[in-house]
Amino acid sequence: MPSEIITLQLGQCGNQIGFEFWKRLCLEHGISPSGVLEDFANDGLDRKDVFFYQADDDHYIPRAVLLDLEPRVINTIMGSVYSKLYNPENVYLSKHGGGAGNNWASGYSQGEKLQEEVFDIIDREADGSDSLEGFILCHSIAGGTGSGMGSFIMERLADRYPKKLIQTFSVFPNQDEISDVVVQPYNSMLTLKRLTTAADSVVVLDNTALNRIACDRLHIQNPSFSQINNLVSTIMSVSTTTLRYPSYMNNNLIGLTAPLIPTPQLHFLMTGYTPLTSDSDIHTQQLVNVRKTTVLDVMRRLLQPKNMMVSTGPDKSNHHCYISILNIIQGEVDPTQVHKSLQRIRDRKMAQFIPWGPTSIQVALSRSSPYVQSNHRVSGLMLANHTSICSLFERALNQYDKLRKRGAFLDQFRREDIFKDDLNELDESRETVDCLVQEYEAATREDYMQFSVKRGNGPVDSKSEDSRSVTSAGS
Amino acid sequence: MSQDRIAGIDVATNSTDISNIINEMIICIKGKQMPEVHEKAMDHLSKMIAANSRVIRDSNMLTERECVQKIMKLLSARNKKEEGKTVSDHFNELYRKLTLTKCDPHMRHSLMTHLLTMTDNSDAEKAVASEDPRTQCDNLTQILVSRLNSISSSIASLNEMGVVNGNGVGAAAVTGAAAVTGAAAVTGAAAVTGAAASHSYDATQSSIGLRKQSLPNYLDATKMLPESRHDIVMSAIYSFTGVQGKYLKKDVVTGRFKLDQQNIKFLTTGQAGMLLRLSELGYYHDRVVKFSDVSTGFNAIGSMGQALISKLKEELANFHGQVAMLHDEMQRFRQASVNGIANKGKKDSGPDAGDEMTLFKLLAWYIKPLHRMQWLTKIADACQVKKGGDLASTVYDFLDNGNDMVNKLVEDLLTAICGPLVRMISKWILEGGISDMHREFFVKSIKDVGVDRLWHDKFRLRLPMLPKFVPMDMANKILMTGKSINFLREICEEQGMMKERDELMKVMESSASQIFSYTPDTSWHAAVETCYQQTSKHVLDIMVGPHKLLDHLHGMRRYLLLGQGDFISILIENMKNELERPGLDIYANDLTSMLDSALRCTNAQYDDPDILNHLDVIVQRPFNGDIGWNIISLQYIVHGPLAAMLESTMPTYKVLFKPLWRMKHMEFVLSMKIWKEQMGNAKALRTMKSEIGKASHRLNLFTSEIMHFIHQMQYYVLFEVIECNWVELQKKMQKATTLDEILEAHEKFLQTILVGCFVSNKASVEHSLEVVYENIIELEKWQSSFYKDCFKELNARKELSKIVEKSEKKGVYGLTNKMILQRDQEAKIFAEKMDIACRGLEVIATDYEKAVSTFLMSLNSSDDPNLQLFGTRLDFNEYYKKRDTNLSKPLTFEHMRMSNVFAVNSRFVICTPSTQE
Repeated sequence: MPSEIITLQLGQCGNQIGFEFWKRLCLEHGISPSGVLEDFANDGLDRKDVFFYQADDDHYIPRAVLLDLEPRVINTIMGSVYSKLYNPENVYLSKHGGGAGNNWASGYSQGEKLQEEVFDIIDREADGSDSLEGFILCHSIAGGTGSGMGSFIMERLADRYPKKLIQTFSVFPNQDEISDVVVQPYNSMLTLKRLTTAADSVVVLDNTALNRIACDRLHIQNPSFSQINNLVSTIMSVSTTTLRYPSYMNNNLIGLTAPLIPTPQLHFLMTGYTPLTSDSDIHTQQLVNVRKTTVLDVMRRLLQPKNMMVSTGPDKSNHHCYISILNIIQGEVDPTQVHKSLQRIRDRKMAQFIPWGPTSIQVALSRSSPYVQSNHRVSGLMLANHTSICSLFERALNQYDKLRKRGAFLDQFRREDIFKDDLNELDESRETVDCLVQEYEAATREDYMQFSVKRGNGPVDSKSEDSRSVTSAGS
Repeated sequence: MSQDRIAGIDVATNSTDISNIINEMIICIKGKQMPEVHEKAMDHLSKMIAANSRVIRDSNMLTERECVQKIMKLLSARNKKEEGKTVSDHFNELYRKLTLTKCDPHMRHSLMTHLLTMTDNSDAEKAVASEDPRTQCDNLTQILVSRLNSISSSIASLNEMGVVNGNGVGAAAVTGAAAVTGAAAVTGAAAVTGAAASHSYDATQSSIGLRKQSLPNYLDATKMLPESRHDIVMSAIYSFTGVQGKYLKKDVVTGRFKLDQQNIKFLTTGQAGMLLRLSELGYYHDRVVKFSDVSTGFNAIGSMGQALISKLKEELANFHGQVAMLHDEMQRFRQASVNGIANKGKKDSGPDAGDEMTLFKLLAWYIKPLHRMQWLTKIADACQVKKGGDLASTVYDFLDNGNDMVNKLVEDLLTAICGPLVRMISKWILEGGISDMHREFFVKSIKDVGVDRLWHDKFRLRLPMLPKFVPMDMANKILMTGKSINFLREICEEQGMMKERDELMKVMESSASQIFSYTPDTSWHAAVETCYQQTSKHVLDIMVGPHKLLDHLHGMRRYLLLGQGDFISILIENMKNELERPGLDIYANDLTSMLDSALRCTNAQYDDPDILNHLDVIVQRPFNGDIGWNIISLQYIVHGPLAAMLESTMPTYKVLFKPLWRMKHMEFVLSMKIWKEQMGNAKALRTMKSEIGKASHRLNLFTSEIMHFIHQMQYYVLFEVIECNWVELQKKMQKATTLDEILEAHEKFLQTILVGCFVSNKASVEHSLEVVYENIIELEKWQSSFYKDCFKELNARKELSKIVEKSEKKGVYGLTNKMILQRDQEAKIFAEKMDIACRGLEVIATDYEKAVSTFLMSLNSSDDPNLQLFGTRLDFNEYYKKRDTNLSKPLTFEHMRMSNVFAVNSRFVICTPSTQE
């Protein structure tokens, strides 16, 4: 089927959010946990074939590949009511089951060792697609499997499928908590390099913001992983709605993504969603009438930081701006209201935009599933490219520098082949991420057009490139 | 005073001369009179001219020359001589003098007309009204001789006559004056048809009043000559039906009756006047006869005209019946009179005078028939050479009359006339047939139009034939009803007739006279309305039901107006090789399978097969330089009833498809080629960033600039223009009660979209858009060349690395001086190419930005608030406005403009909110 998308779920986090994603897709398309189309879902107004394929017995099977180096999460999935949904041949567990020990290098090395088996699965899925458009990768950037093995697979995908789009849903660690993973800064830095160089589009899911939203907006004291993942699945499903309910525009991943990404480097997207409810609120909502949400309400709230799924911190100099915005609006929408809302936002300058190129808020009115009840008349998702995303990267750089300066916790990395000779890979990753931060900062200024000229003349870059080339040859 | 009146009428400066000439003319006609009589004649003449000048001007009276000749002829007949010349010659001389003066030709014509009337009447009264004692004596002598011949009498009787003669002189003079006045009034009234009724009535009343004064003389006279009285009355009765009698002859010029020259001497003044007045009825009778005779060419035509003629003949028959009754009465009296004479010896007295038919009784009798005949003449005259609705409208205008008799008469005529019309309407709205040999029905069928254009062009209203009592909206409904029946029978091949057809036929034919009711709310109108409603609903049900008209409109919206975006994307993906191919190498049958594949692989597969089967790919004839994108398009093939409805809109869909297809082409080039290639090559060429970074960066930013434009354009056209108007159209179609409402709303939908898609718009807008699109194609070529050079350089470097690597294994020095020099040379060439490429890119970017600025200028300057708002959103963050000072100038009143725009928004054409916020 045309414009198919293959979903790769890596690591515990990737498989958890992937699991929630497929549950939601089944609900929206009227597919039972065993993959059978429900009786009430025969009208055929949706495009199931983007994410599912039909087996010979008419079962709907997700175009999903489940990968992990330890069995706990996948065993939970295969023990759930959705166990029959997945193609068993698409589930790959490492034989030794020892995991990556939250170590990027370990995950990367195991990925390299297991790549033949893993890519057999991926290649088979790709061959089964009539017109594959790209891959969606779900993972965390701070662990071992999602970050390390994910990085390896991203690089190989870029080599083997250079014409296919790679989009990731990347979970960033919670900065408000002391992490169990002490080497998290190293893992993040190494993964961020691959996200910069190998991915075409990265949807940033910041656990810091997700926790804040769960506490402040949903009034959950101690949100569980399941509740956080439910938020993530909302983001994932709504951002793909226009692919599954096609209309006059935004029918494929490239059409959806291209307007948001002006240059290959600036491909990190943040999301916002409103209004938000949780299961505990549903009971309360049933006692109250459905809220009279309007398009303007939704579009205004999407521009408020408190609804953003990325925690960027205060912008002291107020110089950060939107590179581009796409609002996906669902519900009972009067088309003229969209028009007026855009005009209102523009007149009141509710959003600050880049000065170096034409941009605006794009609106996609999307149908939603007729089988899923919504408590809100209108809801909306924002996919935005905003320069303040670089504050996440700056934080990662700072944390990395603290550890790197002291050379702490590097023994585990040295054990793997990629770090056997030296630790250049770490420093190169830092360099790449630093350049990314600089580019996003440059994008806030009017002279962004001339940005590359300054960087292009640096002799250090040339040397660094040569060095990397030697290293690659060595490996 | 008379001279002043004439002078007032005349605009000439020499009024004195004119009045003198007129004075002498009157003397020629009437001879020398007493001053009082003369003054009265002058005064009366001036009044008649003043009152009738305008009317006579427009009427079909005798020409001026004819009047003069007629007057001279009449004067010659008198054979009188005066001052050595004939009166006729003298009059001619006076006329020449009059023509030499500056005088209004119409006034002069009017003067001659009235002088002719005066001359004609003067001949009648001359014999009895002359003041000359000799003439009077001669007349009396003739009467005396006539009486001696018919009745023997003694000398004593002669003495008795002498006494009567002595009294008669004064009475005759008075009666003569009255006769002149009455005759002139009646004659004048005849010339002015509009005032005929009142004038005639007044004259009659005046005569009746005056007659009483002369009664003793009259009674004495009639007693003396019963046979003569009978002949006089018989002449009058004969004249009622246009028959000439002993005393009344027809004037071949005017068609009116005049007194017979040979027998006029036997009439008294009163008798002569009454005869002339009574004969007026005959004049009108003759005119009605003329209008009711098809051989004369003065009749109404067509079947409705036939109806009028039949009605006129019916009226004439009724009139003849009344006249026949008069004859019977006369015959009975005469028979009784004869018997009375035979039995005179038995009775002392003669027959009862009250039973005798007299002119006086006829005067009382003839008023109503005259009135009716006058109106019949007027109506029939107005209907000359008219037919159909024009005829009906003409008769209908006479309905606006306060007189009950006239109203009833017109209603009867109109009922007769509308009989054929109602039958034609019934046939049309119940069977869809037209029986119209005379082309008088207000619905016409155009022969040259085939069934494929039946709905739109075959049947039209023939507006001149539309009666004014049929409102235009009812006429349109009648047209629509019959057209629908034809459509159902000819195209939909429906055989069943309308239910209640016979009942409706009965209602319509039984209440046919209601068609010209003052208010169109009669049972006839209700029956027509019922036909219209039922037929319209039937057509609507047929088209929306079995023929799925709304589904086909939706199909065209999705596939021809690219509403089904995923289908279009896949179709383009399937056909992309063909689309890039030169036009001469493209074949339609290859494309059909690609279309089928796209239909199967997208949501289109769930669409109604009836819809999908109408969709096809067409390849237009290519010109030099055309590629697939230029000549490949989608079309929607309709036939049968759908063709009748939608064939006329297909060219519009074809026109609309082009810009939409062009936009998809641009999006495809930008997203699937340019952007996708940039993202992929950014990874592959990462190692060369120091060399190509500048060009790549500029390329990326320029691409995103264009991307924004194309996406906003697509959003505006596909969503705000097409989708919003489609929503409006759907609402109208849901509410529609007739098929034409749907088709009309659909046509309006298409026209609105034409404007919104910048088709049939200002040339500058289209040109700017085309320049934008051309620059996108240029960018694609540029990028292709750019990356080709980059990869060539990249491969060269990789090759060099391999050589170095291989030589390291061998342990020898791998690079020669020659190779080093060659590599350096190639690197320099590559660097130069990069510089050239950067400059080429700037040229494209400059052209593009210029075109966009022009486009924005056109939008901001547009009168359409939608376009203004679109321009605002294209420049949402005011990027273009900052860079182009020209764009800022028209927007110096931006706030004012926005205020106007939002005020105009209340009647936004896209759509209005269905629910309140």
